[in-house]
Amino acid sequence: MFAEIRGLSFRYKNSSVDNVKDFNLEMNQGEVTCILGESGSGKSTVLRLLAGLEFPLNGQMQINGKILFNEDKFVLPEKRGIGMVFQDYALFPHMTVEENIRFGLTNLSKQEKTERIREMLELVHLEDYAKRYPYELSGGQQQRVAIARAVAPKPSILLLDEPFSNLDAHLRQSIREELNGILKDTGMTSIFVTHDREDAKSIADQVVILDKGETIGKGKAIII
Amino acid sequence: MVSYIVKIKGGVNLRSGSSIKRSFNLWGMLSAFFAALIILPNVDLFGNLFVQPNENWYHIKTYLLKDYITNTLVIIGFTGVFTVLVGSGLAWLISAYDFPGRKIINWALILPLTIPTYIGAYTYNGILNYTGVVQRLLRNVLEVQVSPKWLDIMNIQGAIFIFAVFLFPYVYTVTRAFLSNQSASLIENARLLGKNSLEIFCQVVLPISRGAILGGMTLVIFEVLNDYGVVSYFGVQTFSTAIFKAWFSMGDIDTAVKLSGVLMTIVISVLLLERGLRGRKKYSYTTSKVRPIVRTRLRGLKGFWAFFVSFMFLSLGFIIPVLQLLVWSTLTYKKVLNIAFLKLLGNSVVVALVAALIILGVAVIIANFSRLQENWVGKLFSKVTLLGYSIPGAVISMGVILFFVDFDRKLEWFYKALNPNSITLVLSSSVVMLIFAYSVRFLAVGYQSIEAGFEKVGKKFFEASRILGNGVTKTFFRVDLPMIKPAVISAFALTFVDIVKELPLTLILRPYNFNTLATKTYEYATDEMIHEAAIPALLIILVSIASVYLLNKLGEKEGI
Ligand SMILES: Nc1ncnc2c1ncn2[C@@H]1O[C@H](COP(=O)(O)OP(=O)(O)OP(=O)(O)O)[C@@H](O)[C@H]1O
Ligand SMILES: [Mg+2]
Repeated sequence: MFAEIRGLSFRYKNSSVDNVKDFNLEMNQGEVTCILGESGSGKSTVLRLLAGLEFPLNGQMQINGKILFNEDKFVLPEKRGIGMVFQDYALFPHMTVEENIRFGLTNLSKQEKTERIREMLELVHLEDYAKRYPYELSGGQQQRVAIARAVAPKPSILLLDEPFSNLDAHLRQSIREELNGILKDTGMTSIFVTHDREDAKSIADQVVILDKGETIGKGKAIII
Repeated sequence: MVSYIVKIKGGVNLRSGSSIKRSFNLWGMLSAFFAALIILPNVDLFGNLFVQPNENWYHIKTYLLKDYITNTLVIIGFTGVFTVLVGSGLAWLISAYDFPGRKIINWALILPLTIPTYIGAYTYNGILNYTGVVQRLLRNVLEVQVSPKWLDIMNIQGAIFIFAVFLFPYVYTVTRAFLSNQSASLIENARLLGKNSLEIFCQVVLPISRGAILGGMTLVIFEVLNDYGVVSYFGVQTFSTAIFKAWFSMGDIDTAVKLSGVLMTIVISVLLLERGLRGRKKYSYTTSKVRPIVRTRLRGLKGFWAFFVSFMFLSLGFIIPVLQLLVWSTLTYKKVLNIAFLKLLGNSVVVALVAALIILGVAVIIANFSRLQENWVGKLFSKVTLLGYSIPGAVISMGVILFFVDFDRKLEWFYKALNPNSITLVLSSSVVMLIFAYSVRFLAVGYQSIEAGFEKVGKKFFEASRILGNGVTKTFFRVDLPMIKPAVISAFALTFVDIVKELPLTLILRPYNFNTLATKTYEYATDEMIHEAAIPALLIILVSIASVYLLNKLGEKEGI
């Protein structure tokens, strides 16, 4: 098993109930997992926990034999090697597209970095936009930059929070296909979050359904 | 409190805390250190409050204390009422009506704040005294005899006039900002219900902007309690003058500390009173779209009166004193502008620069720690930064003196080891003590601006950077700091100006023979050389105006 999460639970400080209850997940390398659920069901919270932005109450997680958290270990987010595309992209407004993508590249020579940035721009079809600032891009373009930025450091897992939520219906279809292409091209193991069954059906190998923090269904994409 | 996550190799951490946010000890340790530095002088002060009182104190307690209390309360009471009436009235006029000149007056009404009250005080005295322009005009041109008593402002009423005229913009700006964000629908409803302007003002505007008005008024009262220049120049006995007298004329720090204690009781009462009056409802912040009030156009005579009233307050608080200072400066610039003056200017700029930079550093560190920590420790540190602003300068000085003298005594062996002939009071006789005191007193000003900057940026960029492989500190330099740059610039401008204007702290804590623009202005004025005081005064005002201008520009860019 490439990645494994066992018995993950969590509660926000000012919450009176657990916001994530006994969450379990197994992933094979290259697999696309979808977390499906209504608004407020805890989808983003699960991603934040996997990324290391929140401190779990219980549970453990390991990727490729490396433990990310359990009862007595907690790897900081910057050391996890996990990529994430935020719901609102969080592109750094004071950096160009190119600088945004370069941001997460460490331990590479200058030349390797430039090469990697070029590859990424090609992957998301934004070769001509390297010098633009985020506010000079459309919503769809911003999203692709966010994906390129997250993928550039070659994370072991890519997390995507509602990748289609900010797009209009007609863009949605084409971006969905494009994302599918990108994920398949890179062979990236990924988890994406959505509240739309169509999204789940069209890309996911595996689906987890959340409701009020509880897993109420899990399996191959067919069950929905 | 501090992080308990111990780093072991490979970036894996042993956990024993309950929050991931505990992982940045450096920021926490620095914040704790700064917070301690702010608190310690106050602890010293408090500790010395209960030493055995001496004769001076008994004398003051029996004969003078009642006057100090009455004068202080009368001044803050009347100043409070006047600034609220003028400030909120003008805010309402500007927000709800259109009249000729409104646009310019709208922003110009902040200008009285650029004139330090002590400069206002001696300027008005110069205008109104026997040789001043008003009496000369009455005597020589109009040939009327007016009893000088009518024009004498060297008294408690005069002090109230000065404070009201120069400090009302505190109330004006907060109330105006509040009205333009919050009240459109309420006021329009009231208009539809057929209420007239006065009714709307009293029944709608005052109640809904109560929080904002009280906030502005509290700032005014703190300014007044902090003041030494006006009351001492006018010969009004208050706590600041009493503390000065105890310290400078009698060298009696115990008595000065006791007076500070009583003054702090007043400060705390003001704070509690504000809390109580403001009630449970805080500034309600509507996230929905801000809709400006549709302004009623005032035509003809009404428009003229609206202009006249607002222009009158602008004149009293800015135009008249500045014109007078300009005239005086043409009389004295040859005498005043020399090498010594440059030294003065240099002193002012250097101490303000150093202190403002320290404040920025401390504010940024504590604000970042507190926003990431999100628990009571973070909240506590952030509250500590606000401490200095409510404590009058004279009181802070006493705490800082106690703290530094103590510190110097403890380090005496060290000074002597370096230099056998060294004096004991190395730091407490140097400008270090003054800069420290500035930093404590004005930290709140910088902190609030920086905190607002962080709030605006939010945490998502920080989180994105963490996930992309940067630790807290690296993220701070690569992401947070560039993004809060406008807030840092405003923080700098605000603190720099406040320090250049500062008087009481500087008078008490400056090293021997060390003068700044502010102290020199004050010295000239008290030495009956008010014409000579004009140039340094104008320079201080100019620096303030430059900062107001810069902040305006930044505000426009940010779309506030
Ligand atoms: N910072 C927070 N503090 C307290 N409770 C929170 C916080 N963030 C989220 N919650 C609560 O946790 C639950 C799960 O929130 P989460 O954001 O994970 O939902 P979601 O499934 O991503 O919803 P959406 O589809 O609207 O993005 C909700 O009940 C929410 O109110
Ligand atoms: Mg969400």
